[in-house]
Amino acid sequence: MSSNTPSSSAGGVGSADAAAPRRNSKRPKYSKFTQQELPACKPILTPRWVISAFLLVSIVFIPIGVVSLFASRDVVEIIDRYETACVPQNFSNDKVSFIQSAVDKTCNRTLTVKKLMKQPIYVYYQLDNFYQNHRRYVKSRSDSQLKDNSSWNDVSSCKPEDMSNDQPIVPCGLIAWSLFNDTYNFSLNNQQLAVNKKDISWKSDRDKKFGKDVFPKNFQNGTLIGGNRLDPSVPLSEQEDLIVWMRTAALPTFRKLYGKIERDLQPNEVIQVTLLNNYNTYSFNGKKKLVLSTTSWLGGKNDFLGIAYLTVGGLCFFLALSFTVVYLVKPRQLGDPSYLSWNRNPAGH
Amino acid sequence: MSSPQHLILHAPSCPSKTNICYFFYKNITFGFTLFWFEANASFSGQPAYNDWYMSCYNVFFTSLPVIALGVFDQDVSARLCLKHPLLYQEGVQNILFSWIRILGWMFNGVLSSIIIFFLTTNLIIGQAFRKDGQVADYAVLGVTMYTCVVWTVNCQMALSINYFTWIQHLFIWGSIALWYIFLVVYGYIPPTLSTTAYKVFVEACAPSIVYWLTTLLVVIATLLPLFSYRAFQIRFRPMEHDKIQRQRSEGSEHDKIQGRRAEGSEHNKIRGRRSEGSEHDVTESTGTRNSTDLPSEIRIRIDNLKAGPRSKNA
Repeated sequence: MSSNTPSSSAGGVGSADAAAPRRNSKRPKYSKFTQQELPACKPILTPRWVISAFLLVSIVFIPIGVVSLFASRDVVEIIDRYETACVPQNFSNDKVSFIQSAVDKTCNRTLTVKKLMKQPIYVYYQLDNFYQNHRRYVKSRSDSQLKDNSSWNDVSSCKPEDMSNDQPIVPCGLIAWSLFNDTYNFSLNNQQLAVNKKDISWKSDRDKKFGKDVFPKNFQNGTLIGGNRLDPSVPLSEQEDLIVWMRTAALPTFRKLYGKIERDLQPNEVIQVTLLNNYNTYSFNGKKKLVLSTTSWLGGKNDFLGIAYLTVGGLCFFLALSFTVVYLVKPRQLGDPSYLSWNRNPAGH
Repeated sequence: MSSPQHLILHAPSCPSKTNICYFFYKNITFGFTLFWFEANASFSGQPAYNDWYMSCYNVFFTSLPVIALGVFDQDVSARLCLKHPLLYQEGVQNILFSWIRILGWMFNGVLSSIIIFFLTTNLIIGQAFRKDGQVADYAVLGVTMYTCVVWTVNCQMALSINYFTWIQHLFIWGSIALWYIFLVVYGYIPPTLSTTAYKVFVEACAPSIVYWLTTLLVVIATLLPLFSYRAFQIRFRPMEHDKIQRQRSEGSEHDKIQGRRAEGSEHNKIRGRRSEGSEHDVTESTGTRNSTDLPSEIRIRIDNLKAGPRSKNA
């Protein structure tokens, strides 16, 4: 009908017997890919899809939230903050000098078990306001030295804790130097509760990052002692407290695993804790807490997970309802091309 | 005059403009999670993620879907573009690249990053995140947050795409899968090179149910704002190409030039063939709908417009 027809028919006739000589045609080889005609799905957010999507999310999330909350409720946790209470009366105004003095740091605390705690019960120490994620702190270690005895000299990245008395420190760096050194002893009815301190670190750390032939040397030998001492006869791969400590925490408030108690604790049992309040958190207003916790299949006590899932699920349900109401109340004439702006306003744009 | 089909058809909505907004969005999301972490690391400059994660972000995990969007996306098909040439006004009037849109995408990015950071830190940090009592450290938080970022930006891309071919699917879900593969492979490289990433996924994160639940929750939570906004916008304030898409999907996109209604079967034939990827309606259309007619179609439409408002006969 249009002027196209003659040319296309001429092209048709021509192409039939002129396909070979017309090699210099610039027309690209036709394929669905190059002509962008691949089979495709073209989803559109119709009311049906929107409401179904919201309902699906709420149907999935609300049960997950409920299950998570139940799991979290099953976990029993005892938290005891002790850094203020464990400073004797006469030092209460000058905690820093207390902690730096040679005064006996023993402190007795009492913990009461509220609900049955099934073994294994995990013992953590929790620190507040301690920035293990500070860049200079995180940098201050020597991975090669930790791994390999032959690299004992490689202390360049460990400043300022690299050398002491002109000898390299093993393990060097601020992280190792500030090793946490409070200790906890638990007793129940005057009987010692054993704390298993084996396997508290990650296996990959023990096997591959801390060498079996690397021994502490020249450690905490300087004028300023930052933390715990290390037994020079025990190789680093067995110094689990050090390994746990050197796995730097993400945020300024963190817990680290101290050990496991491998017996059940019955409700109303009273645990006596004899702790040594050695670690100086007073210089930077840090807090220290002792935590005993069981775990569920989800982990520790995590109400937030259940609540977050319930919130999002509930929100989606509410959105599904609102969209349903809105679609019903304001039904729109669907698919009418006269709604296109150029059709609605024929006189101009 | 050559047939319009022999021209290269430039999509009216110019997906490259969406691309630019999306590029801002994904980098804002990523960058702001770094910023929130810094705020919790006393602004010392400690990055939240391992160096290699950060280097590969724009190259491997989020670049392919953007390319696919730019090259392959079509909000309306070529045929409908030619039929409704006034769609091009959307581009001319810069509707799709206005300040409001750019700021909207940026706001979406900041919001996504806040949701990601807030949820991951509250879910993973503090108490044990696994049955064996282990707590999450810096490496685990980095992996979790990064996983959430990769999922989120790719899923936001999926929500923005109008036209899903197998290529889009491959690129989007492939980018996400590539992240996990990268984590596993990088994690097996000895710790002298992989430092904090050594076995972090296979040993620490993958066995943790909280890690997977966190990813799921964060992704859905970050998609909710955009999804709700799009649902609202398409329904109540549709743009021109949205309306055309709706017409097409509801089957009212049919010939109205002569004032006739097209047969349902002819229209379904056309739609069916289009979804199979056939190019022309030329040979089998029984009516006047013919790609060679399009120039005259436009002429006739202009005549109709001059004649006055049309009657509603959907």
